[in-house]
Amino acid sequence: MTVLKTSLRNFLAHKGRMALSAVAVLLSVAFVCGTLVFTDTMNATFDKLFANTASDVSVGPEKNDDAQATGRPATVPASLREKLAKVDGVAKVEPSANSRQLTVVDGRKKNLSPTSGAPTVGTNWDESQKKSVEITSGHEPHGPAEAVLDSDTADKHGVRTGDTLRVIAAPGDFTVKVVGIATYKTTNPGAAVLYFDTPTAQAKLLGSTDAFSGYGLTAASGVSDEQLKERVSAALGSSAGDYALRTAAESKEENKKDVGSFLDVMKYALLGFAGIAVLVGVFLIVNTFSMLVAQRTREIGLMRAIGSSRPQIMRSVLVEAVLLGVVGSVLGIGGGVALAVGLMELMGSMGMKLDTSELTIKATTPVVGLVIGVFVTLLASCLPAFKATKISPMAALRDAGTPADGKAGKVRTVIGLVLTAAGGLALVAAAKADTAAAGSGMLGLGVLLTLVGFVVVGPLLAGLVVRVISAVVLRVFGPVGRLAERNALRNPRRTGATASALMIGLALVAALSVVGSSMVASATEQLDKSVGADFIIQNENEQPLSPAQSKAIRSAGDVAHLTPITTVNAKLTLPDGKTVKQGLNASVATYGEDLATETVQGRFAEVWGKDAMSVPEGFAKDHGIKLGDKLTVAMVEGRTAGLRVKAITSDDTSINKGGMFLALDTARQYLPADKMPLDMLVFAKAADGKAKEAAESLKAAVADYPQIKVRDQADYKKLIKDQVGRLLNMIYGLLGLAIVVAVLGVVNTLALSVVERTREIGLLRAIGLSRRQMRRMIRLESVVIALFGALLGLGLGMAWGTTAQKLLALQGLGVLDIPWPTITTVFLGSAVVGLLAALVPAFRAGRMNVLKAIATD
Amino acid sequence: MARWHGRTGRNRQEETHVTTAVSIPRTGGSGGHTAVAASARQVVKAYGSGETRVTALDRVDVDIARGQFTAIMGPSGSGKSTLMHCLAGLDTVTSGQIFIDSTEITGLKDKKLTRLRRDRIGFIFQAFNLLPTLSALENITLPMDIAGRKPDKEWLDRVVETVGLAGRLKHRPNQLSGGQQQRVAVARALAARPEIIFGDEPTGNLDSRAGAEVLGFLRRSVDELGQTIVMVTHDPVAASYADRVLYLADGRIVDEMHSPTADAVLERMKNFDARGRVS
Repeated sequence: MTVLKTSLRNFLAHKGRMALSAVAVLLSVAFVCGTLVFTDTMNATFDKLFANTASDVSVGPEKNDDAQATGRPATVPASLREKLAKVDGVAKVEPSANSRQLTVVDGRKKNLSPTSGAPTVGTNWDESQKKSVEITSGHEPHGPAEAVLDSDTADKHGVRTGDTLRVIAAPGDFTVKVVGIATYKTTNPGAAVLYFDTPTAQAKLLGSTDAFSGYGLTAASGVSDEQLKERVSAALGSSAGDYALRTAAESKEENKKDVGSFLDVMKYALLGFAGIAVLVGVFLIVNTFSMLVAQRTREIGLMRAIGSSRPQIMRSVLVEAVLLGVVGSVLGIGGGVALAVGLMELMGSMGMKLDTSELTIKATTPVVGLVIGVFVTLLASCLPAFKATKISPMAALRDAGTPADGKAGKVRTVIGLVLTAAGGLALVAAAKADTAAAGSGMLGLGVLLTLVGFVVVGPLLAGLVVRVISAVVLRVFGPVGRLAERNALRNPRRTGATASALMIGLALVAALSVVGSSMVASATEQLDKSVGADFIIQNENEQPLSPAQSKAIRSAGDVAHLTPITTVNAKLTLPDGKTVKQGLNASVATYGEDLATETVQGRFAEVWGKDAMSVPEGFAKDHGIKLGDKLTVAMVEGRTAGLRVKAITSDDTSINKGGMFLALDTARQYLPADKMPLDMLVFAKAADGKAKEAAESLKAAVADYPQIKVRDQADYKKLIKDQVGRLLNMIYGLLGLAIVVAVLGVVNTLALSVVERTREIGLLRAIGLSRRQMRRMIRLESVVIALFGALLGLGLGMAWGTTAQKLLALQGLGVLDIPWPTITTVFLGSAVVGLLAALVPAFRAGRMNVLKAIATD
Repeated sequence: MARWHGRTGRNRQEETHVTTAVSIPRTGGSGGHTAVAASARQVVKAYGSGETRVTALDRVDVDIARGQFTAIMGPSGSGKSTLMHCLAGLDTVTSGQIFIDSTEITGLKDKKLTRLRRDRIGFIFQAFNLLPTLSALENITLPMDIAGRKPDKEWLDRVVETVGLAGRLKHRPNQLSGGQQQRVAVARALAARPEIIFGDEPTGNLDSRAGAEVLGFLRRSVDELGQTIVMVTHDPVAASYADRVLYLADGRIVDEMHSPTADAVLERMKNFDARGRVS
């Protein structure tokens, strides 16, 4: 009991010093809980949405992942409706006609599609729609020239009733007038939705009034969804296999599969970043407790002198840690909920309206938060607690002075160096690995070992690196700089731990920036090396080009040639007897000019002949395919062809690696016209000396289709760079949390150092150090620690990044590009971070009363 | 030179206080300095207010003679440390004036006060005088380093020689004995050639031999280097090294003694203690 009382008093007495550690626990726990609450809420929201929209039993076309990308949605015959209506137990049959392969453009030729990746949907207006939306202005759509738009899209793009929209669908373009605005009753998942009357949806979206996308069946009372499904299946008889029958529950599951796996990926990615923050928080807590124990040496000595046992001392520190963990975690759980709400607002601003009233906090969430927070804090305080037990009763009698300087121990140094060396070897092995699988294991091992090694050897490095940094940076500041250097060096263990926390986050930033920058550089080099085309034309939303769009592209002038490319799905039967599903690249002879393709055997130009194809080197080797072999190629939804291998392409490329090629004409021979896949992208070569004219002409030709982008090589490089840049920025943002925690660690170390050095500060002030100089001294110490952490982190990260690049060189990451501007910015930025971290501690040191400081025990 | 002639303080002092330590000729000395290195005029230092008001210094007047070794004595709570802190610009006064040479330091802002301490005053504290991260030599030159001044090599050598630290300059404080640490502190105070050195029980933590060593150096720095030193002490032996001893009780200067001996000081203290108790 006494132990608890002492701990509680200590905890309260040092609440200021505990505050930053509590914030570290808070942030980590908040991130974990926030992630859980957010993903649970998303899941719940989608559950509700799908439950709302699902019919008792739905009948749709059997899902066929291999279907050729004809741009037309799969359908079921309209005649089925009668048959279904006659099934016993069916109360109502509602046909649906919808498509996700469309683009909606407003009067100013602006694309109304969401930029978040959510689809643009066109659908018929029927009873089932009314479950999720209601028309809030205007009226329902009637006839081929009317449509209703969802309110979110309308608001976002300023569309009002009476406006005219152009709809670009697979069967063709058409214009409609907006006659109404529909508002979601539940959460709008971010899609842009256009509603038509049923015949219009059939004709314009599906291309036939004899077809529907599927049917929603309502069960008569007393008939369960399962029973109804059974009966429908029986009624359809032998043709039941052509259709997918789903109960409401099954539809929900089916719909959730995609969303759910996306949410899971997001959840684990976020939890991964939270984990990094937790790891960094551990350093902060270890440091805080070490310093608190060091500062209480005399007090603990007294406790020992008057008879406290070692376990009691240990327990008193651990109880304090539990208190800290509980306080931090409880606040963190609250913070997590706030974070989740913030994330939902953010999603809202990106188009996905999430209702905060649907916030889902599972019972496990606070438990997980509390367990993580308390466990981590307890774990982190074990070492300081153990050290506290080592304090001898004699400490009570000794002059307190400043706590003994913690020097890097020999054993520790040796262990650290061995770990670092082993990690270095693993990295070298990874860089030289033959296969990616073997190499990535080594890379992981190397990353882990070098990280742990650096942390362990940190105090030794602190001694060396801080001296170097000081020699360069601090000399300018004269004696104040020297004082700062000595302060940073006086306890290398503490400096090492503080800097290590920063190191972890920055190492990841550096490694990812090297990989990202190498990705861009490698892609650019490949583009320069192999792309001969002047322009690359494709749809922004990764959809194929509709026939009308392809036609528009072909109408452009000043173009030497166009090379359309598409993917034909087929099943290949190989010489070794195996069959594989494969997407074949179908194009025309100019492909070789637009995208240089190396062969190891045969001539690429011959691939475009009748009944010819190419296979890649590795594939040929794996399946024993030789030049001149005839492969059996069964085109999906078409006939089976025997194609002769006329070329074996090199695997040493990053563009279209592993691609198999055949001529579009060959594909047309074996596929019915309506099953011919649409062009995925088109290369264009300008006529000699007419590059500018061709660009203008192409852009003018597709002006009606804002989703089509005509990019020259420079644009394309920029696109890749932007995409990689966006991804990196997102990751940097998430790593920012770990860095914030690390900065808190610097603040904490400095704040505790200032307290610890009160008498020194008083002395310095007494003998004439001005407040300004005092503040500068603290700031410089902070900057040195931050730069030290940055140097370690960036060095480590660049080594990791370089290793990853060498490893991925086989996967097309052939060029190593170290982004020096980023690295330099991070380095200089860490100096700024150091300055900011020192703001409060420096202010407090400057404000210290000289006399009181000197008199402090 | 008669800086405070005509000030009301002086008149009031004559009216109300008999005991005063203002007994030094106000002219003389060298280099245009007055013979007074520091002085206090009607200095009051009080803590708290109303009924809880505690007066640590009660209208104290004192002149510290240049080139002399002055000891301030008195029982605990007499205000001797407070007086020294106020004289040295470490503490603020409630009312009255403090002068270092001809500069009034009462009312100076922190910035100027800091510079004054840095450039014109030396300190020796009872304990914890040195920065543990700096070597002995670095500690000695620290005030000049902070000021951005180059130490006078010859003078520095002489100071180091005087305090007998020549072989230990590269050592860190924790590698030095208590006596050596205090000698480094003395050397630091001397090295910058301050106008005045204040010592707050500089030998309080030392055994008698080490204490005698340090006091010997302080004495020699006055005799040989012409340094002005003010030292707070409760040790009659330490006080006997001084040229002049001021006695404080209840925040007032109650007596003084010139060219003291340890026995005389001790005698006076006994006597004075008794007197202190009856009053």
